[in-house]
Amino acid sequence: MGIRDTDRTLPSNQMVFELRRDPQAFAAFQRDLEASMEHYGLSAQEKQAWRETDLAALARLGMHPYFLPQVSRLFKGGGYNHNDSEAALLYAKKMNIASAGGSR
Amino acid sequence: MARLIASLGIAHAPGVTGWIDKAPQHEQDAVLAGYAEFGRRMDELEPDVVIGVANDHLLNFPMSNIPDFCVGIGDDWAGPAPWFRDWLNVPDYKIGGHRALARALVRESARAGINHAFAEQLLFDDNWSVPLKFLFPRYDVKFIPIHMNPIVPPVPSVQKCLEVGRQIARIVQAFPGDERVVLMGTGGLSHDPGGPDYFTVHEEFDRWFMQLMESGDTDRVQREVTFEKLLTGGDGGAGELLSWIVAMGAAAELGKPQAESVFYVPSVPMRCGMGGCYWPLS
Repeated sequence: MGIRDTDRTLPSNQMVFELRRDPQAFAAFQRDLEASMEHYGLSAQEKQAWRETDLAALARLGMHPYFLPQVSRLFKGGGYNHNDSEAALLYAKKMNIASAGGSR
Repeated sequence: MARLIASLGIAHAPGVTGWIDKAPQHEQDAVLAGYAEFGRRMDELEPDVVIGVANDHLLNFPMSNIPDFCVGIGDDWAGPAPWFRDWLNVPDYKIGGHRALARALVRESARAGINHAFAEQLLFDDNWSVPLKFLFPRYDVKFIPIHMNPIVPPVPSVQKCLEVGRQIARIVQAFPGDERVVLMGTGGLSHDPGGPDYFTVHEEFDRWFMQLMESGDTDRVQREVTFEKLLTGGDGGAGELLSWIVAMGAAAELGKPQAESVFYVPSVPMRCGMGGCYWPLS
């Protein structure tokens, strides 16, 4: 999986694009994930992946890799995003890769 | 006529401003010393205008319409984009643009067969927020952002990137005015945002690339810097180095394609090979 596997037309890509640019859309997403997904026309498979924050599944469906760590930040926040942050650890877990194992 | 007085390539990884305290002290010191050295050189040069070339991080252009290069022609810029504020930990800033030179870049590139998009407004993330903070901390230069696409394939070829750089140099050198201009490519080195190598830095790849910039050999660059090779430095990340290739093209146009490596620090806490190179052109 990588940038070559991106499906530019995947609705989830448009959703992430907008959520980072539109504070009202982001607030609505935080209040009601289901309504947000419905609004962006996500497929049943995409919706299930978002519900489980299944980044690997979103990647397989064609989400651009860039958006994957950003999805973890949409849920866990972006501040102080070091390797042991909640967002980074969530990314590692959901992508099935070893995290950095703590800063040294 | 305006003059291109230097070009450079430098990393823009968000960790430098966002969480550098989580790196070991020797890494922090080396990375910050590298940025400080660039800052010192910019202080000495006192450019009037900085043309930035860097990837758009899927912030400005939806998947439906992504240009190879988009020139910011606006009069003023502000950053960081709101969603990125706490991530970047860079105080809000404003910086002026240079509409006339930006328009010339678009217009004259078109005459040379290069179709640049252009925009009045652009959101800034780490692509500009990190380097500007260190290189131009007073935000007292005029800034022309050029957002390029190295991450949603098909991406511009190395040949095109070199040519874009050459055209930038030609257009600057022909621009009526006495502006002193720096071309700043940002991005890289090895990193993999959104891939399996998210916590991995590819030091060998990085040293190969920096040595290539030092060689000044644009033929070798065209042979060796393939799309596939860039993927090995981090699928979603190393392609950003195409912006350094633009900077190299501009230097080559002025007959000085050999770069000086200024710093290089492979840093897992920064999730990036941190480094920069410099082409003195005055």
